[in-house]
This record gives sequence, structure tokens and C-alpha cells, in this order.
Amino acid sequence: MHRVVITGVGPVSSIGIGVSAFARSLRAGRSGISPIASFDTTGFPHVCAGEVHDFHPEQILRRLDARRWGRSTLFAAAAARLAVDDARLDVDAVGADRVGVVIGTTCGESQVIEALTKQILRDGFAAESPDLLRQSPGNRLAYGVSEEIGAAGESLTISTACAASNYALGYAYDRLAHGDFDVMIAGGADSVCQWVHAGFYRLGTLAKDSCAPFDRDRAGILTAEGGAALAIETLDHARARGARIYAEILGYGLNCDADHMVAPNASNIAACMRVAHRNAGVRPSDVDYICAHGTGTPANDSAELRAIREVFGDQPPPVSSIKSMLGHTMGAASGFGAIASALAITEGFLPPTVNWRAPDPDMTGIDVVPTHARDARIRVVQNDGFAFGGNNAIVVLAGGV
Amino acid sequence: MSLAITGWSVLCSAGIGVDAFTGLLDAHGDGASRAPDVRGLYEDALPAATAHAFVDLNVRATLGRKNTTSLDRRTVLALIACRDALGDGGVRVDDETRHRIGVTLGTTWGSLKAMSDYTKESLLEDRPYLVEPARFPNTVMNCAAGQAAIWFGLKGVNATIAGGHLAFLNVIDYTANLLRCGYADTILAGAVEEFTPHNAWANDLTRGNGTAGASGSNGSNGSGLAGEAAAVFVIERADEARAAGRRIDADVLSVATGFAPGGAAGGRLRTSLAGCLRRALARAGVAPEAISVIVSSDASGDARESVEAGAVADVFGNAAPVRLAPRAIVGDCQAAMGAMQVASLLAWHRGRPARDGAVSLITGWTDDGGVGAAVVKGWNRAGSDRG
Repeated sequence: MHRVVITGVGPVSSIGIGVSAFARSLRAGRSGISPIASFDTTGFPHVCAGEVHDFHPEQILRRLDARRWGRSTLFAAAAARLAVDDARLDVDAVGADRVGVVIGTTCGESQVIEALTKQILRDGFAAESPDLLRQSPGNRLAYGVSEEIGAAGESLTISTACAASNYALGYAYDRLAHGDFDVMIAGGADSVCQWVHAGFYRLGTLAKDSCAPFDRDRAGILTAEGGAALAIETLDHARARGARIYAEILGYGLNCDADHMVAPNASNIAACMRVAHRNAGVRPSDVDYICAHGTGTPANDSAELRAIREVFGDQPPPVSSIKSMLGHTMGAASGFGAIASALAITEGFLPPTVNWRAPDPDMTGIDVVPTHARDARIRVVQNDGFAFGGNNAIVVLAGGV
Repeated sequence: MSLAITGWSVLCSAGIGVDAFTGLLDAHGDGASRAPDVRGLYEDALPAATAHAFVDLNVRATLGRKNTTSLDRRTVLALIACRDALGDGGVRVDDETRHRIGVTLGTTWGSLKAMSDYTKESLLEDRPYLVEPARFPNTVMNCAAGQAAIWFGLKGVNATIAGGHLAFLNVIDYTANLLRCGYADTILAGAVEEFTPHNAWANDLTRGNGTAGASGSNGSNGSGLAGEAAAVFVIERADEARAAGRRIDADVLSVATGFAPGGAAGGRLRTSLAGCLRRALARAGVAPEAISVIVSSDASGDARESVEAGAVADVFGNAAPVRLAPRAIVGDCQAAMGAMQVASLLAWHRGRPARDGAVSLITGWTDDGGVGAAVVKGWNRAGSDRG
């Protein structure tokens, strides 16, 4: 078994594009929430989201023609390009066949599907644009990344909703640990769209203009978008080329609630944490920081903290939610979590939970790193990702390589 | 590591079950297979009067009245196929085993109709948020797999893979890794595609020249009428399945997938796919001469018309094995294509002991550059219902 390390990160987010801007925003506790521009919000009581307004894919991409790919794929491909550059990787030198891609998503090319739906409503099915139809399949996300970076190995899109990036990271870890590839690009992407905004509002889980995870008065999520990608390679490969190493992936755990499509289940989340710890070879007391799923809904945050209590006892490590700044970026969410975790390890700080005002009486004694980032020495991080369909995925990262 | 298929299920235009499917295959052999009239299925206009769709699907008669009203068609098909695969494989699901039994399903969009209808509802209602909350989960791509876990109490790894025409080969690859790493003991691995106006029009409007030219300049994988199908296979580690005395329908000896930059327009699909076939053969430790059957996803076996046939010609030369090509029978069923290829192979073996141990190659590709292949050794099912 090979050891597996992260050597490059590529965030394309509402709080920064590229590692420097993203890290600065995490430290500053900057919010990326703003009024929605991508669709007409007339009639919606809640009109804010975490859109990436200053995303200009053509400024980042080198090979993809931005006009031929949907927004989610462009997020993924731009993130991958940034991660590859950050890792100073030369895919041709590695060997295109030795580089694989695995990308997670919740709704794939949702904006493309909405554009097609408008064509159907206006002029009927026969008037749908063949070009847009060709952009619509979910597997385009990984393909766009492979195309952009010139990878000829496996190109896989995992659509396990809001835990999908962690599934992708875990799969990349397995592929590398077993020597199937030398380098994997893993991450996730999704786009803000009207149907998801409407659906969450209707479920009563959409906040108005601020996401406040773990707060007593938390009102829900804010929909958001972006692309998160990480360049991952075997430790041997990274050392041989003198690469800078952010963190090691120790292992991950997956399980399924099998009881409800949208409601989280604390005991199954706790079981998933135990599986992740066992696979990663760590004990709860080894974990220095939990980068929470922390969506900001009453149900998620209660279930997640109950699970943490169950596994970690009365004194769990600090737990914070970067969704307080980004909103819920769906398929990219745990990818951003992994990037934040890698930065927390490398730069020695705890990302904050912003918008936190008052402790939930049911959640006392947990340090949610309120409002301000904090310097801290962190070795082991647990990165949580949970999803519709009861798809739970937790990745464990560590520094000190 | 070798995988064993120890149970399976299938549904297609001919209905639910292996018998209905083998009946359809036999009828096609007799030249009698025809796509049913689909005009009564939807109010929306359809691009063609016929399609290989399961027009007689009766959700309540098949799954009951409880918890079925809000399900999308894709999820219904997946639930039927998962239920029947569990039954066929005699999988014991109880508190001792359920956290070690997982689901891996292949898809293209999730339910394109569920996503599009949700947008439509939001656009047309008096208030844009007056959408049906119970149908919201149908719009996420992992709905079918998540519902299967709920319906059958499967708490092991639950995954959905978006792979278009390559989805099932991706699913086998993903499943093989789960079992290799010991993350689960049993996986329901399958793929589903629904027939809806949305899928039918996507199929119709993106069709190129019917099949991709060997030059790959203007081709599309979407050939023939739209299809609707689901097939789910019970997959376990082969050594453990044998040790436990399980009945083996097939051994999956290897799988390989890759990507051809440039896709159909880039001109490298054929060579990439040929490379993939060679990798799959090498991983299985099987020489090309040992392959008895090619189960193709393309309709055409002509190397001048078909990427796949071209790649097969590159690897096998003139000594091309027997060719099974279910597309003409099941239609262009997108994500379900690979699963129907494997189902066709198992049907070819079923009840025919003379074919035991024959080694076959399953091939697949997508317009955008995905390529894949699997090497499968099939067995007849002794005492099968086809006797």
C-alpha cells in the first residue's frame, strides 16, 4: 500500500478563486453570500446565495473551450487547472495514462437543464438545442477535467449528492494506495439553480441571507456553487519530484442511513465516523479538528453534534463549518472542506464558524470556533460530508508528512 | 481480484424478469422483436411513435401503494430491479449483514424529467417556490440508490455513478474497488435508464449519423430508438462466494476504463478503446484468442461505422469472436446499456452448459471520450427455469 498525499489545491469559490484568496478569506471569516444573479428571483421571499460572480473560466482554462461545456463542468475544470498548477504538476511528464480523475456532484449540469427546460416551455421539445443537450449529462464533469488537464486514465463522475467530493477523495485515495495511478485529480462541482433554491425553500430549510451553523437560531442553508479540486499523488511520487505536501490522506469511511431521503441520522453518522477512524487508523483522541458538514439546518447540526458527542465523548475537538462563509456548495462542499482542512494543517489555523451569535442549549460545551479564525497546531482533521439519500462520507487527513 | 455475480435481475420493454428478457432476445432471433407504441405514455409530443420502453409498467401493482406516489420512473425501475436481484441472489438482509450490503447504480442525468419538471413547476406556478416538496429528492442524481437503501434496509456503501453509455462499466470498476478494499461484502451493482419525453428527445436530437464513423469525426453513440431498461447484479468477492457455496452466474475477471482526450471529434477514441481492451485482457490474464464472445454496445459491427468494431478489429484482427449486440433489441438505453450487455451475456449462458467457462469481453464508450471494457467468464445456471 502506498501512502497518499495532497500536493495541490484548486478552489473556485465565492470567497476566492485560487489558494491564496481562498485561504485569506477563511482566515478573515469573509462571507461569499450575495443577491442571486443567475436566475430571476421575483416572487422568492429569500433571494441570496453563494454565487461565484467573478468566475471567468476562459481566464483559467487552457484547453477547454468554455462555450462548449456547462457551468458545473467549467467549475470543476477550472478548479482542476488551479490544483495542477498549485502542485506544479506536468501531466505529460507523469504520463497521461497514469493520471486519473474523479469528480463529485449533486445535480450535475443543472443550469444547462434549466436552460433546456425554458426552451421546452417556449417552443416545445423539438426546439431543444442539441449543443445544450450534449452538455447536459453528469459524466461531462469528470470528462471536462480530464480534457482540460490532458489525463487519459479513468475519468469518473460520482453523483452522491452533497457528500460526493468526499466519495471522490476516498476513491482517489484507494486508486493511489493500490498503485493503480500515480496522480489523481479529485473534487466536486455544482451550480446555483432555480429548482434547487425552490426545493430547499419549500422544505423550509433555506435561510434568508445568512447561514449560521450551530447557532441557537440557525434557520437553514444558503444554496451555493463552485468547484473544488485537489491534486493527489502517492507519497513516493510526490517526494521523487520534490513536491510540496499539504497533507496526507489517512483513509475514509462510507455508509448509508437507509431510513430517510433528506433527514440526517445521528447514530448512522456516528457509525460512519467510526468506520472512517478505523480505516484511517486513528482514535477519536487523535483528531485535532472537525471540518463539519455543518449546513446550518436545525436537523443537520443537531444530528452531527450528537454523533460527535457519541464518538468523541464530552470533550470533542474544535468543530467549525465553512458553509457559514460559502453557503452549501453541494457536490463541491466536502471538497472545499478538504481544501480548508489541508490549509488548516499547513498554515496552522482553525477556520471559523461565522454568523454564530448564541449557543444552542442542546449543544453546549462544543467549540465551534465562533466568528474568528484561530491559530492552532493541527495534525489530524476529520472532514465530514453527508447527503440526501443518506449517503455519508468522512475523510481523515493528517499533517506531519 | 476476481468478482462473482451471484444473482441478477432485468427489466426492459418486454417486462420484468429474466424470462421476459430472454423471450425478447429469442423473438429478435426470429426477427419478430418490435419496439412498442409509446404514444399513450405521455401527453407531451414524442420524437417517434415507438421506443423500446416498458409501456405496461404498473407501479402500484409491482411495488404497492405505499410510498410510491412521489417516486420518479427511474427510481421505480431501480427499486424493482434491486428487489428482484436480492431475491434471485438469495441475499440475506438482516441486522447482522445490512451494514455490509451496498448499492452502486449507474445513471446519465439522474432523472432528467424530474429535474426539468421541477424547474418547470417553479417557472409556471403563481409563486416560484410552490413546488412539490415530496418530489424534491427525485431531482438529485442519487435518488434511486438512496431509495433502494431505504426500501431494502441496506446500510452499506451507497453510490451513484454518472457515466452515460459507459455507466455500467464505471459501476463495475467502482464496485470492484469497494470489494477489494473490504468496504462491503455484497454490492447490488446495476444501471437504470427511464423512458421519458426528455430522454427520448435528447436521444433523438443528439443523434449523429447513427453510429460514430471510424474516423470519429461526426459520430454519436446515440443510435437507434430510445430505450428503457434496468439490470442489477449481486456482486461479491469470487473466492468468498465460492467458499460459501454460492451459485455463480459469472466471474468478472477484470475491468479497465480510460479517457480519450478530444472525444468523438478528437480522432483518438478507437485507439483509446483498443488500448482499454488490451489492458482489460492483460489484467484478466487472458489472450485475445481465448475470448469467445464480444458483447458490443454499438449496433453496427462494421469497423468503418463503429468505434467499437474498429477497436475490436485492431485487437482481434480477422479472428473476431462471436458478437452479441443487444442495442437493436433494447434500444439506446444510455446508462443501462452496459448492464443490458451483461444481462444479454448471462442470458446467452443460461441453461446451456456447453457454454460454461466461455470468456467474453464487454465493451463501451461515450461520445465525449470515455472508454471501457470488462472480461467476464460466464456459467449456465444448472436447473434453470429454461432447463
